[in-house]
Amino acid sequence: LAGPPSPPGQDPHGWRVPVDCVRANELCAAEPSCSSRYRTLRQCLAGRDRNTMLANKECQAALEVLQESPLYDCRCKRGMKKELQCLQIYWSIHLGLTEGEEFYEASPYEPVTSRLSDIFRLASIFSGMDPAANSKSNHCLDAAKACNLNDNCKRLRSGYISTCSKEISATEHCSRRKCHKALRQFFDRVPSEYTYRLLFCSCKDQACAERRRQTIVPSCSYEDKEKPNCLDLRNTCRTDHLCRSRLADFHTNCQASLQSLTSCPGDNYQACLGSYAGLIGFDMTPNYVDASTTSITISPWCSCKGSGNMEEECEKFLRDFTENPCLRNAIQAFGNGTDVNLSP
Amino acid sequence: AAFGLYFPRKEYSENVYIDQPAGTPLLRIHALRDSHGEVAHFHLCQNLIISRARSHENNWFQIREKTGLLYLSKSLDREDFNMLSVGNWMPLSKVMLYVFLSSHPFQEKECDSATRTTVFLSLINATAPACSSLTARQLCFTEMDLSFHIKENKPPGTFHQLQLPSVHHLCQNLSISYKLLAAEGMPFRYNENTTGVSVTQRLDREERERYELIAKCTVREGFREMQVEVPFLVNVLDEDDSPPFLPNGTDTADAVVEFNRKEGTVLAMLTVYDADTTPIYPLESSRKKYTGTIITDDPWISETFRVEHIFDEIHFSPNGSQVRGTQHEYKLVLNKSISVTEHRSFQLDVLVNDTEFHGPERSVMLHFNVSILPVSIQFPNMTYQFTVNRNAERFAQIGKICIENCMKFRGVNITYKLLSPNVSCYPVSILQGREDKWGSLYVNDSSMLRRPECKEIQYTIQATDKQSRKHTKTLLTIVLEGTLLKKEEDCPDSCAVSKHHAECEECGGLGVLTGRCQWRQGSGKGITTNYSTCTPSIKTCPDGTCDVIESKDAAVCPQDCTSGNIIGGHGKGIGNLGIKSGHGICYCFPRQNCYCEKDDIKEQLCDDVCKTVI
Repeated sequence: LAGPPSPPGQDPHGWRVPVDCVRANELCAAEPSCSSRYRTLRQCLAGRDRNTMLANKECQAALEVLQESPLYDCRCKRGMKKELQCLQIYWSIHLGLTEGEEFYEASPYEPVTSRLSDIFRLASIFSGMDPAANSKSNHCLDAAKACNLNDNCKRLRSGYISTCSKEISATEHCSRRKCHKALRQFFDRVPSEYTYRLLFCSCKDQACAERRRQTIVPSCSYEDKEKPNCLDLRNTCRTDHLCRSRLADFHTNCQASLQSLTSCPGDNYQACLGSYAGLIGFDMTPNYVDASTTSITISPWCSCKGSGNMEEECEKFLRDFTENPCLRNAIQAFGNGTDVNLSP
Repeated sequence: AAFGLYFPRKEYSENVYIDQPAGTPLLRIHALRDSHGEVAHFHLCQNLIISRARSHENNWFQIREKTGLLYLSKSLDREDFNMLSVGNWMPLSKVMLYVFLSSHPFQEKECDSATRTTVFLSLINATAPACSSLTARQLCFTEMDLSFHIKENKPPGTFHQLQLPSVHHLCQNLSISYKLLAAEGMPFRYNENTTGVSVTQRLDREERERYELIAKCTVREGFREMQVEVPFLVNVLDEDDSPPFLPNGTDTADAVVEFNRKEGTVLAMLTVYDADTTPIYPLESSRKKYTGTIITDDPWISETFRVEHIFDEIHFSPNGSQVRGTQHEYKLVLNKSISVTEHRSFQLDVLVNDTEFHGPERSVMLHFNVSILPVSIQFPNMTYQFTVNRNAERFAQIGKICIENCMKFRGVNITYKLLSPNVSCYPVSILQGREDKWGSLYVNDSSMLRRPECKEIQYTIQATDKQSRKHTKTLLTIVLEGTLLKKEEDCPDSCAVSKHHAECEECGGLGVLTGRCQWRQGSGKGITTNYSTCTPSIKTCPDGTCDVIESKDAAVCPQDCTSGNIIGGHGKGIGNLGIKSGHGICYCFPRQNCYCEKDDIKEQLCDDVCKTVI
């Protein structure tokens, strides 16, 4: 049975191709009715919850008009020019609409279509070091060597390492803020065939696993004096547009699902690894909790201690990192150099 | 009683297929009561939230107000599907509905009650599957975990129905039966006729806060039989039903103020336990719920002290199983620095109040026995005498001046001053560091050391407490000794410039004590804190801190103070100052670069041939 003809603006898969929010904002600004409704809606959303807002006739009318505008479905690209501005526009509409208390939020980023196999293909061109050739080889060390042979990777890697290991005073171990910024630059600007090899290298001994754990200089970027409660940390992250977007992206792309073979949404490992790497350099920075070679455990720097009646919710949130079969499968698949074979 | 109906789950989920007939039941929602006699009324918000922020009027779904059964009131055709999927970019479309709860029939179409639960309906782009194509897992349970929460101290009631209404409706020829395993001795009951699970008695979280059961499902189709087991979890929600209590009955602590008088000093701490949990998130509201107040009429006490409250989760084991509780710590803290002359003792009472507990013992009183002792500003019973070599250079460190217990003081600012001597010899000065604990004596004018008429100089040192203006004096004698050495030509200002043992000890430089620099021979193994270097005095440089005298002039000890480039293998010191560790020999050109390198060209040893004068 054939489906109905696709309406204009839809791609062959049947969903609408999104416009980026900066562009959508320009399109809306050029149209007097759209721009005035957008302004009204932003005023409606300021400091009010969804239900009070919907009770107001004027707000409701603005919402209905905007549902037809490109602003409604607009999306952002990771590492795009004006990424922050784009996300600000996105959340200015979505914050009041999706309820702040939702457990999982939809990602404001465009879906990832590339695959891990694309990375493997590229990696084999420059590597020359065939990981399968030597069973004793340390893949994390090979990844560091490969990075040092590339000017861009080498420059940004030594940039974040020196920033993150610079001692400020006897009490202040390093500048976490600057360290995070340098890490974000590294993961945004260096191609993923380098960054993923460093982050997700597979290990057979402890020295290798320790090197993998140390990749993001955890003493500065990850660990802290105290472990906050995970829900508290999530709340802090959600006050920042970038952190909130990266977390939503992680939840969209790494949420374990029973419906797929790999446990990953759409069986897309690349998307999950990408949104994992996208969290590094924010309050929700994840890392390996130890240098174990047999089991991979990932967690942000938080615990569920002191959750009160929210313990169930807190543990559910933490489990998406610590016991997530999609994330674990994706990391292992990258380490082994195996992607899912999908029929075209 | 207050309105207290609540949902035992936060979320429900079910699949909806194309062209399922109107009247198809989808899922069953339950409510639990706060008090006997309450009747639950369910109501649907007339708005479908489509993922990615769109909404649409709900034309398809309704709920039975009394039973909580959600059903299709109108079949969804393909056109409806396409309309609801616009804006959904995932292949799987989901819509979200809010179900509200009230103890009275709904008057208007309210959409803002605080008590609500969320239903996720996955719109499957296909007609309902044949029962034979469904797996046992799909026939028995939804994808969502079977996890519930039940409030403690509430009346019993039914909170879940294991049978899936949609599957029961669709697959009437299949026999699907359930069992609840590991339920013996637990306060839950399974009713085979309704497949409902109920809690049979009031629960107490302080007894047990988590029940782990197993739901087992058996599907029979002719002779075929399939079984599925999934975990069935019940969490007990806490309310404030326990009063605060004191561990071991300790309600008193001593708080002594002596040398440490600085604002922010923690003087004493007392602990209060509570069997209830206290969420640390949001932090401020929990602090407000558990207060600690100083009980006093004395404005001086309320200005000088404050109470700091921190709390942490601890575990109690009432009957083998672990339950969470709270440990509250109340610290008595100095709110301002106390003068050295203050002398008092008194008892300070702090009232701790568990504001949400509704019982008579909601508060406990803590007692702090505070004694504030005065401290005296005086020098030890001796006069100071230091010997200074006539060849010492400017910024040579002679010694330290310290009043009694000066190292123990915190929050007391002492100023050290040299009163001018009667003679014209005035070679030394005093400086003090940021901590204001001691004064460092150093050579300020080395030309006076060389004057023959200056031999023994008497100073008076005065130490003053900044706050109380109390002061004390003692005598200091500086004895000059040694004979003047001839100054080498071509020697640099700074010892740190020399990179060889021999040239180091030939020259003097700023800060030297005896006219000659000293060589520190390092271990020579890799990058080490014990690197080789030339310094004015091994005692003070390099020692890892750039002290007040070293920081007066960049040439004194760049090894501790440099902020410039360091070339070669090294590690920087605290605050990026100085060379903490280096490779081989480290030498510096003051106000320029430092270098750390292995000296591979060995100094030519003078053998017998070279000593022989021909």
